[in-house]
Amino acid sequence: MTLVPVTYKGGIYQHDIIIDFIEDLGGYIVQKHIIAAEVVLQCFVPREDIELISRIAKPLFGEVKDSPLVGTEIAVVSMSLEIHHLPHPSCDFAEYARRIGAKTNMVSPARGPGKRISQLSDEERDVINEHDIAVIAFGNFESCIEYKWPALRRGIDVPIIVMGGPDTETLRRIIHPAADGYVGNVGRFMRRGKTEEEIGILDEIVAEVTRVIEKKREEIAKDPLSVSPARLMDLIREHVPAIHDVTSPLPSQCRWRDSGLNCRTIRLPGTYGG
Amino acid sequence: MLAIEYFEVECPEPLGAAYYKQITNDVLLDHNLLRVINKLHIFIDPKIPIFIAVGTLKKITTIVRVRDFANVNPLGDKITLVISDETYLAPMLKIFWQKYGKDRVEQPDRFTVILYKIEVDAREIEDLVVADPSESLFKDLIYAFRLIAPEGFRVRSEKFSKERFSFVASEDTLIEDLNPLIREKFALMGEKP
Repeated sequence: MTLVPVTYKGGIYQHDIIIDFIEDLGGYIVQKHIIAAEVVLQCFVPREDIELISRIAKPLFGEVKDSPLVGTEIAVVSMSLEIHHLPHPSCDFAEYARRIGAKTNMVSPARGPGKRISQLSDEERDVINEHDIAVIAFGNFESCIEYKWPALRRGIDVPIIVMGGPDTETLRRIIHPAADGYVGNVGRFMRRGKTEEEIGILDEIVAEVTRVIEKKREEIAKDPLSVSPARLMDLIREHVPAIHDVTSPLPSQCRWRDSGLNCRTIRLPGTYGG
Repeated sequence: MLAIEYFEVECPEPLGAAYYKQITNDVLLDHNLLRVINKLHIFIDPKIPIFIAVGTLKKITTIVRVRDFANVNPLGDKITLVISDETYLAPMLKIFWQKYGKDRVEQPDRFTVILYKIEVDAREIEDLVVADPSESLFKDLIYAFRLIAPEGFRVRSEKFSKERFSFVASEDTLIEDLNPLIREKFALMGEKP
């Protein structure tokens, strides 16, 4: 039985029928969102039963769509959380990827911006490594990207997709050591992307992320896991209630300076180790 | 960019120059600053690294008075002001409170202000100066150029006067005498430094 990631969208009325049905078929619900009178379920279901679920969902006005990124955690690495880089284009992509089932987190190095001065700390590197894939959003200048890339990628062992202002070919040429994916023509810009071309670039990033994730899945399939991660997740949820308080992939500690510039640390509730 | 007489972005990377032209346009448009800039030349070299913006300013004499955004209607011992644009409502109320006292100024709803028992002519109220946007002009321009310049460029040197301005930024220490560089960029616009 092959489980495939899908998104179910439908009304809240009798949505528990769908949940029970998916579970009876041997599928797993990864995430459930209730937004006003609508339910969005991100789940893994047996490939051969998608048709059947669509048929059952039809009288409830529900629809089932393929979502290759369900269950994928993406770190969108923006060079800073300043207005220079947010909300466009980093948030544009983070939001777009959420719509197709991915879980995206914005990660921003404290000293990310600049060329010579750009750096990534151990803690930031560890946070990025907690994700399945990292999408690094660079700026507009190729000489800048070429210079700062080695410093930023050091220690990151998850696949990396590079987003930047120069076109894809140029990115491929200047990035050493090589990244896993490249999407060009999407550097720093300061307005909302509304045109077809701009939205097309978001699709391009999603396609590149999907390609890299599929490659990783194929590699895992060569030496299959003894238990499906979705089943393991279900079991842990059932037997270890403390899991609901775990904030991973966020760090277990939070550090900041108060108004008197004293360094303060709190341990986030329910996190272990770290 | 019709409002600007001259606008160029100079950069060794042509694609980078095109992106920065778009960014500059968006930021100036968002902050409503296109109307004050006459000429603008931006030079960016990420290899040095340096960002230079030089330009000339238009003369703006737009003092905002009460009559620009409110109708003043005297009736008996009270004067009713009907507001059409809320932008300058807060500074106007502040002036009224200072001049006439809070007990004589009432605001029953968002778009109405009533002044009670004041012995002033309605025309005098209409002519009251509420704000001078040119006061915060330099602050707004510096903020806008900080947004336009690459974020890592935090070492800055800026000169703003009534007619012209220069804004230089880098992530390294700036060279001591920036004047020849700035003069060169002014000359490109056909301006004598």
